[in-house]
Amino acid sequence: MARSFKDKVAIIQFPGVNCEYETVDAVRSVGLGADLLRWNEDPALLENALGVIVPGGFSYQDRIRAGVVSAKDHIMDKLSELAAAGHPILGICNGAQVLVESGFIPGIHWESVDLALAPNVMEDRDGYYCSWTHLLHGGTDCVWTSAIGNEEVVPVPIAHAEGRFTTDDMEVLEGMKKNGQIVLRYCTQAGQIDPSFPTNPNGSLESMAGVCNREGNVLAMMPHPERASWLRQVPEDLGGGWGMKRSKAGGDSGKMEAAGPGRIFFESLRRWKEGGE
Amino acid sequence: MLKGTIPITESDDSRVGELLKENGLNLAVSEARRVIELLGRDPTLVELTIFNTMWSEHCSYKSSRKILGELLPTKAPNVVMGPGEDAGVFRYAETGDGDWHCLVIAHESHNHPSQVLPVEGAATGIGGIVRDVYCMGADVVGVLDPLRFGDPKGPNARQVISIARGVVDGIAQYGNPLGVPNLGGDIAFDAGFDENCLVNVVAIGTIRESRVLRSRVPAEAADTPYKIILIGKPTDDSGFGGAAFASEDLVEGEEANRGAVQVPDPFLKRVLAVANRKVLDLAEDRGIKVGFKDLGAGGIACVTSELAHAGGFGVKIDLDAVNVAAGHHYPPPVVSCSETQERYALAVPEDFVDDVMKIYNEDFELPHLYHGAGAVVIADVTRDELYTIESGGEKVCETPVEVITTGIAYDRPKSPRKVLFEEPEWQEDRSLHDDFLKIMASPNIASKNYVFKHYDSEVQGRAVIRPGEADAGVLAPVAGNPVGLAVAVDGNPWYGIIDPYQGGALAVCESARNVAAVGGVPSAITDCLNYGNPEIEEVFWEFFEGVRGISDACRGIGLLSHDGNHPLPVVSGNVSFYNQGESGKAIPPSPIICTVGVIEDYSKSRSMTFKEEGNEVFLIGEPLDELGGSEYYRTIYGTLGANVPEADFVRERGQIRTVLDIHSHGWVRSCHDTGQGGMLTALAEMALGGNGTGKLGLAVNLDEFDSTGLPPEKVLFSETGCFIVELPPGNEREILAICARNRVKLHKLGMLKASPKLEVVSNGKALASWELGELAGIYMTGCRSIFGIEKGE
Repeated sequence: MARSFKDKVAIIQFPGVNCEYETVDAVRSVGLGADLLRWNEDPALLENALGVIVPGGFSYQDRIRAGVVSAKDHIMDKLSELAAAGHPILGICNGAQVLVESGFIPGIHWESVDLALAPNVMEDRDGYYCSWTHLLHGGTDCVWTSAIGNEEVVPVPIAHAEGRFTTDDMEVLEGMKKNGQIVLRYCTQAGQIDPSFPTNPNGSLESMAGVCNREGNVLAMMPHPERASWLRQVPEDLGGGWGMKRSKAGGDSGKMEAAGPGRIFFESLRRWKEGGE
Repeated sequence: MLKGTIPITESDDSRVGELLKENGLNLAVSEARRVIELLGRDPTLVELTIFNTMWSEHCSYKSSRKILGELLPTKAPNVVMGPGEDAGVFRYAETGDGDWHCLVIAHESHNHPSQVLPVEGAATGIGGIVRDVYCMGADVVGVLDPLRFGDPKGPNARQVISIARGVVDGIAQYGNPLGVPNLGGDIAFDAGFDENCLVNVVAIGTIRESRVLRSRVPAEAADTPYKIILIGKPTDDSGFGGAAFASEDLVEGEEANRGAVQVPDPFLKRVLAVANRKVLDLAEDRGIKVGFKDLGAGGIACVTSELAHAGGFGVKIDLDAVNVAAGHHYPPPVVSCSETQERYALAVPEDFVDDVMKIYNEDFELPHLYHGAGAVVIADVTRDELYTIESGGEKVCETPVEVITTGIAYDRPKSPRKVLFEEPEWQEDRSLHDDFLKIMASPNIASKNYVFKHYDSEVQGRAVIRPGEADAGVLAPVAGNPVGLAVAVDGNPWYGIIDPYQGGALAVCESARNVAAVGGVPSAITDCLNYGNPEIEEVFWEFFEGVRGISDACRGIGLLSHDGNHPLPVVSGNVSFYNQGESGKAIPPSPIICTVGVIEDYSKSRSMTFKEEGNEVFLIGEPLDELGGSEYYRTIYGTLGANVPEADFVRERGQIRTVLDIHSHGWVRSCHDTGQGGMLTALAEMALGGNGTGKLGLAVNLDEFDSTGLPPEKVLFSETGCFIVELPPGNEREILAICARNRVKLHKLGMLKASPKLEVVSNGKALASWELGELAGIYMTGCRSIFGIEKGE
């Protein structure tokens, strides 16, 4: 049978990505179909896909700069078409780096690289940092966050060395703010924005954790929602509502298989699809 | 007739020695003569280079093999494959369709390379160990790394710190891109590792039993022509002589050895892992039998001879077919034996070759992703059991394959080391308050959170308990199934210095305790045995005693899933000798054990953090006057002392059973074993939690321990292995009954309070108290000066 992505989410498998399998599982957990598409397969397969996810990892070994080689890959021409036509596209971690390097995000000047994901700036450490963070949702309507309430706090882990959203073009920054494109910001458990480490774990400008395009169909986020899609994935000592829920599920493996906080991003896509039907 | 043989037969011993040296070989003269006996003629340089690798201590276990074989229990009902292949395999859960979920585990050292080039050495350590698990057909689901560094405050502090940072960096640089989560590890610092750090690595993988692959040419090759395909990175001269390098003393400033460290490439490894999976799935679908093995020590020569010999076949290698690094030409000994990373060998039937090549070279574009990489056919499997290598149209090696794989063994003499250890003179007027702050700040005790956060512990999404959250890391390996796996590593260098037997025995006990603390039934262990030069009688005695300790502990604790009627099996391991620096002083005896525990229901595994006000805290077991090698003696008295904890297997087994029983009722709210730093340190760790933010306090009642007759400091800092458990109130009677049944002691330590304070109380009087905030400040930053960066650095 010929391969088809009709009504399914395609997860792009660039060489060196390493979160593709769990991303497939997380999308399937909300009842949507999902499959991998290798970077060198026929891009036309994506035409009737429900959405596309560029997963986390180290595509092309982060050669030159994270995400930059994938951004030049020919499959991105197809993603560009789809993005412009309003199809949902999500970049997670390395995928976010790819979407930023492709100029899809912030997309104020289409396909111009106006934003960067620079090396983390952290208190008394450098390089790679793996930790749970809290995200404050706000801003414009974005397909991938549409099921999250305004000002709602979502705990999701990060794991990266280059995740600091930054730009020195104040016009771009003002535009992003005006358009409400900064839909996810690092915050405390209580939802307070605090620019200092570790609340803002990488020194991101404006505590940016996820930025969408003006139209809200493309989202680049550094945190990994697929690693927070089941309650069992939440650390017991996380604290807050989700930590409490996780701790209370101790001893009940059925409850542990319930949804975790990060599933809401995939759930958002499912609801968007149903709303469109 | 072979061309270019080395004239060993006609040369005298001193000339043979020169010939070996001229050709960069570490073989002893007597070993070179043994080669002549086996071959019945003078060897070629390729042949001699092969023996040089295969007979290195690293590959041949020539000093250790006999003792390991005699002492270690390797058979048990859950074992699918014990030591011998690249990794051990055991069953942990039924699949429900007649098959078994199996765990694959391998454990190795990469000590010398890490001392010389810490980043690359540690990275290739991870790279090598995951290959051992991948090549069993498994998916790698985690790595752990037990590390031993020198004294970060001693005379070699600068080098020690630079090595420690480099190693952590190397582990992160390799493990993170590979997409394998870090499940934990431990770090110890002691001046005994100043000249020779230890970087041990453990990898675990999962696979169904029916799909376990063997490192052998399948029997089908008797009827169907089989080829051997070399897959991965182009061969170069990196790591040439690596196994031999690992098998001699480390001499400082020996720049030449840097070439013996391999060059890591996690990116290529990740792509290979994905492509290998496609190939193996396709073979499975079509019912095609394959043989699979990774290239490690000894490179192409080692992998091809072992694949062929294990299957009872011969092999004919065309060295000219090997893809080498672009623009290079390497002599045949280098191509045959270099230890270039990121390579595998696959034996497949001839009519499957094209499909395999397409997956690697076209679907995954290996030649485009990495210059010169790819899959190439390098050898024919033959039915004559002859091992032949051709290069440039000439035979450079031709011998029965069993000659190549014939081992070599030595009976090393041993004699007990005679060192007198003494207990310190007891000081009555010390400040318990201040002393405990010193212990919490000690790099050996202080939180390693700083290091753990360099590693990706979340990838693959299976983590239930992460490094530092409890005594063991916990995974939920099978989607939708409550079965869990707990993994922990342990090995206390100071116990081994005082008594190498206890060093081995207690490493098993402590790592078994660690997995039990999260509800895991200890089900198998691996051992990595790190010692000095085995040719020194006292060092060999240390090794022998360590293995004896491990063996006794495995039999004493037993396989509790089978009522302890079988030993806890050793399923894989590694021996690393010659761990000593220029001064000639061997490292502290360091047997390091990894125990895997099987958890019936992972949701019952809890973090070690205190959970709820009003819950009761108990000690299972009792501290004895066993502070020899303890953190307290070393940090406060500046001495090792003499009374090392004595492994009592009946007690250990009883305590482990008790904890598992309480777990199975679902009563455990938090649990932690008392190891390094004793009971008080363990309580502080539970109060603070893995991230240092705990807010529940406890007043420890010492009156409970009056019967021991020990002073408070000995009760609080004794390193006798016990468990601390937090339970909801109202279960005391049942707990007492469980303890009585298992014949272990129970002490009630106190009740959790909402005030963030740890207190020690005796006769209604507070002996000392600490604010949790103060402890957190010290504990969470104790390793910052080693691993952290200064502002502006």
